[in-house]
Amino acid sequence: MGFSLTVNGDRLSCAADPATPLVDILREEMHLTGAKPVCREGFCGACMVLVDGEPTPSCLVPAALADGREIHTVEGLAPHGALNRIQTALEASDAVQCGMCFPGMVVSLTHLLTARPDASRDDIRAALTGNICRCTGYERIVEATLLALATR
Amino acid sequence: MSDVSATMDLRRRDAADKLRGRTRYTIDRYLPGMLHAAVLRATVPSGRIVRLDTSRAARIPGVRAIVTATDAPGMIGIGIADHPLFARDVIRYDGEPLAAVAAVTLAQAQAALAAIEVEIEPLPAILTMADALAPDATLVHPDWRSYEVLLEGGARGGNVAWEATVVRGDVDAAFARPDVEIVESCFRVGRQNHVAFEPRAVVASYEDGRFHIETSTQVPWSIRNATARLLGVPASQVRVTVPPVGGGFGLKFDLAVEPFAALLARASGRPVRLVNSREEEMLTCLFRENADIRIRSAVTREGDIVGREAVVLMDCGAYGGEQIFLTTMTAHTLGGNYKLENVRMVSRAVYTNTTPNGAFRCCNGVYNTFALERHTDEIASRIGMDPLAFRRRNVLGDKDLGATGQVFESNVLGPMLDRMDTLRDATTLPPARSDGRLHGRATTVGTWFVFVGPSAATVNMNADGTVTLVTSGVEIGSGSMMQSLPQIVASTLGIAPEHVIVRAADTDAAGYDVGVGGGRTTVSLGAASLSAAQEVRTKLLKVAADMIEAAPDDLVMRDGRIEIAGAPGSGRTVAEVATRAQTVGGPVSGTGAFTGAGVPAMPGCVAGHFIDAIDIPVFAVHDCEVAVDPETGHVEVLSYRVVQDVGRALNPRAIHGQIQGGVVQGLGYALHEEVTIGDNGRVCQNGFETYRVPLALDVVPVEINLYEGAPSIGPLGTKGAGEVPILNVGAAVACAVANATGKRVQALPLTPPRVLELLLDRKPELTLPHIADKWADNLIRPH
Repeated sequence: MGFSLTVNGDRLSCAADPATPLVDILREEMHLTGAKPVCREGFCGACMVLVDGEPTPSCLVPAALADGREIHTVEGLAPHGALNRIQTALEASDAVQCGMCFPGMVVSLTHLLTARPDASRDDIRAALTGNICRCTGYERIVEATLLALATR
Repeated sequence: MSDVSATMDLRRRDAADKLRGRTRYTIDRYLPGMLHAAVLRATVPSGRIVRLDTSRAARIPGVRAIVTATDAPGMIGIGIADHPLFARDVIRYDGEPLAAVAAVTLAQAQAALAAIEVEIEPLPAILTMADALAPDATLVHPDWRSYEVLLEGGARGGNVAWEATVVRGDVDAAFARPDVEIVESCFRVGRQNHVAFEPRAVVASYEDGRFHIETSTQVPWSIRNATARLLGVPASQVRVTVPPVGGGFGLKFDLAVEPFAALLARASGRPVRLVNSREEEMLTCLFRENADIRIRSAVTREGDIVGREAVVLMDCGAYGGEQIFLTTMTAHTLGGNYKLENVRMVSRAVYTNTTPNGAFRCCNGVYNTFALERHTDEIASRIGMDPLAFRRRNVLGDKDLGATGQVFESNVLGPMLDRMDTLRDATTLPPARSDGRLHGRATTVGTWFVFVGPSAATVNMNADGTVTLVTSGVEIGSGSMMQSLPQIVASTLGIAPEHVIVRAADTDAAGYDVGVGGGRTTVSLGAASLSAAQEVRTKLLKVAADMIEAAPDDLVMRDGRIEIAGAPGSGRTVAEVATRAQTVGGPVSGTGAFTGAGVPAMPGCVAGHFIDAIDIPVFAVHDCEVAVDPETGHVEVLSYRVVQDVGRALNPRAIHGQIQGGVVQGLGYALHEEVTIGDNGRVCQNGFETYRVPLALDVVPVEINLYEGAPSIGPLGTKGAGEVPILNVGAAVACAVANATGKRVQALPLTPPRVLELLLDRKPELTLPHIADKWADNLIRPH
C-alpha cells in the first residue's frame, strides 16, 4: 500500500487513503497550505495546482492518481522565495485583497503566461472562468496579467 | 503635521506572501495535539427535542469531548438576548446546533455526530414574514417576553423581534393636500450570501484557566464578550487573536463557531480546530436579509416631496441578531438622499423559522436604496419630470433636514451629480446596436454612513526609528490595516509607512474596539492611531528640542528626521531622538482613543433606534447602462460609473480597488445571486454550483471619480470608502432595466427568468398584503 508524490521537485511517500483529495494531502501531510479548499467542488479554483504542467483543481484529484506525476503548488512556482512574473505584476498592481483566491489565480495565470503569450483581454477573462474572486471584481487581475504579458 | 505626506498609493505589505501561498489564515493553523471538531445541526426548521443522547457517540474511537446545551447557559443578542448557543428543547431553524464533538480526526468527529441519538417532534414552521405576521401565527419565540432586554426603547411583540420608527412633521396633512400626486411602490428582495472564501473557522485552546480563541473574525472584542456571555464566564477569561482574514463582507461581524471550539478545548484540555464546511457556510450563512418594502410619497407636480411614509419588513430568521440593529438604518437609507419635511417610517425585524440573517456590506442600505431609487423613478414618471432633474431638485444639500431631523452640512450630492455628468459625457457612447436587445441607462444616488464608535490605539516608539501600532483592528482584505493606518501614523511622525509595524489583533494587547466593518477602520481606528501618534510626536519633539537646542514649535518631522523647519539636513534622525528619549525618560509611547461625537436628531422623532443621526454621512452616485435580451431575459451590464464621496482619499488606488470589488458584488446581488428557502425550511443553494457569484466574464471595468472635500470628523478628513461601493448597484441596475424594458421592476435579483416574466407580463405586480394599508396599523406601539 502507499503511493508517492512528486511535489515541487521533492519525492514524498504517502500512506493516506489513496482516495483522499490531493488538496488535503498537500495541506495536512505536506504542510503546503497555499492551496485553499474553498468549494471542494472544482468551481472556485482556489486549490489549483499544476499537475504535469496543467492547472488542476486539487480538490477533485484522488491523491493516488497523482502518483508518478509532477505536481507544482503555488509555493513552488519561483525559486528561493522570489516572485514570478505574474506574482510580481499582481503585487505591483495592488491587486490583492483578502488573498484567498490568489494562490489558485497565480497557478492558473502562470500557466496562461506560457501557454498563451498572445492572450487578449477577453482571452484572460475567459481563462479566469475557473478562478473565482469575491473581493476584487477581477479588473486588477486582468490588468496585471496584461502587464505581465507585456513585460516578458 | 506633514498632512500632505499621508496621501500615496502605498502598496500592500501582505501581498507578496498572499501571492506565494505563505499567508497563514485561521484555516491554515494546525497546532500540536490539535483535535478536530464538528457540529450536529438540526434537520427540521421547527421542532421539540424529545431526546438527545450522546452516550454512544462518546464511545466512538478518538472522541475526546462532546458538549451540548447544558454547557452553554447564556443567551446573546443585539438589543435583546434571544439567542442560545445550542437549541434548548426547541429547534427554531434548519441547521441549528444541537451538539458539538471534538475527536482526533475529523472523520472520527463526524462518525460521532452520526452516533448521537436525537429524537425530534416536528412542529409547524413559519417560513415567511407573511406567515409570521398573520393574525393567528404561531410564535417562533412563545416566551419572547422573558428575554433580557439589552437596549430599551424598541417595541416588540409576537413575531416582531424589534420595531423602530421615525415620525416627523404632519404626514397625513401632506398626503391630503390637493396639489399632490400620491405615488406608492412595493418591493421585495431576497437574501445574499457573502461567500467569503475563508469559511468561518477557529482554533481554540484553554491555557492557564483562560480561553485563547484564534479566529477568522471582524470583531475580536465582540467574540470575546459574546463567548464569555454564552459560556457564563467572565469576559476577562477570553483572549481573542485574529490571523489574516480571508474575506468578511459582514459575515464575520458576529459570533459563529468560536464558542463550540472554546467549550471543547476546555473539556478536552487540547487545542480544537473547527472549520465550517462550504455547505454549512451556504446553509447557515448570516445572510443579507430578505426584505419587503412599501413606500408612498406625496409629491407636487413641480417635483417637491412634501410627504413620505414607508414600511420595511426585514426577516431576521430564527433570532434577532443584526436585524434588530438594522431597523435603525431604514431612517437613514430609505429616509436618505432627499430632503424631507413630513415623514414616517417603520422598520420591523420579523422572526421566522429560517436560518438567522446577519450583516452584509451596506446592510439594509442596499435594498432600501434599490427601493428608494426605483420609487424615485416612478415618481418622476408620474409627474412627467426627468428623473435626474427630479433628483437634482430634491437631493440633500447644505442645512437640509434628513428623516430624523438631523441637519446635513454642505452641498455634496448636487456637485456629485454634476461630476457624474462630466464623467458620463467624457466617455464615448458605444455605437448604436442592432442586435435586437433593449438598452437602458440610469443614474441613482445613495446615502450611507460610517459606523463610528469606540476604538483604541497604542503607538510604541522603537529606538531604531520604527514604531509599532497596536490596535484590535483586523485585516480582512480591504487593506485599511496595511495602507491607511500606517500612512496616517507615518505621516504624523515623518517616517516611512514601511517603518510602521502593524500588530495583529489581540484583545490582550489592545483596547476595546467595535470591529472592522461599517467603513470604520480608517475613520475610528485611524483617529485613535492618529491621536496616539501625535502623543509620540509631542514627546519626541520635546526631546529633540533639547538635543538640537531649538523650540519644539520650530521643529518638523519628515523623511525620518526631526529638524528645524526650513533647514533640511539640520537636526537628528528619529532613531537618534528615540534612542535618546529612551535613555533619559524610558521608552516613548502614545495612546489614542476615539468614538463618534453624536450628531443630534430632532428630539422625539425616533423610537427604538440605536443611532438617531449619522455622524459621518457618505454619499454615492452610480450610473449604469444595460442591454436586455428579450429572447432570454439576460441582462448585460455595458458600462458602470461611480462618483463616491470619500472625504479625503489617502490611498486613491486602494479605494479604486474597493469600488471595483464592491460594485461587482452588487452586480451579483442585482442580477444572479439568489437564495431561496424550500418548503422544508432549508436554504436551497448549498454550494457554488447553485449559488452564482460573478465571474470574470460578467464584469466591466468601473469608471471611477473620487469626490473629495465633503466635511468629515474622520482623521485628516477621511470617510470610510470600502463598504459603500456596493450601496446603489442594485438600484442602478434595476432602474436601468426598468428604463430598458419599460416594465415595473419590483424585485431583485433580475435573473433571466424574472426578467422574462416582466417582459412577457407573466407575473402580476407585486403586492404586499401583510403590510397594512394604513401606516399606523403596522405598528405594535403607536409613535
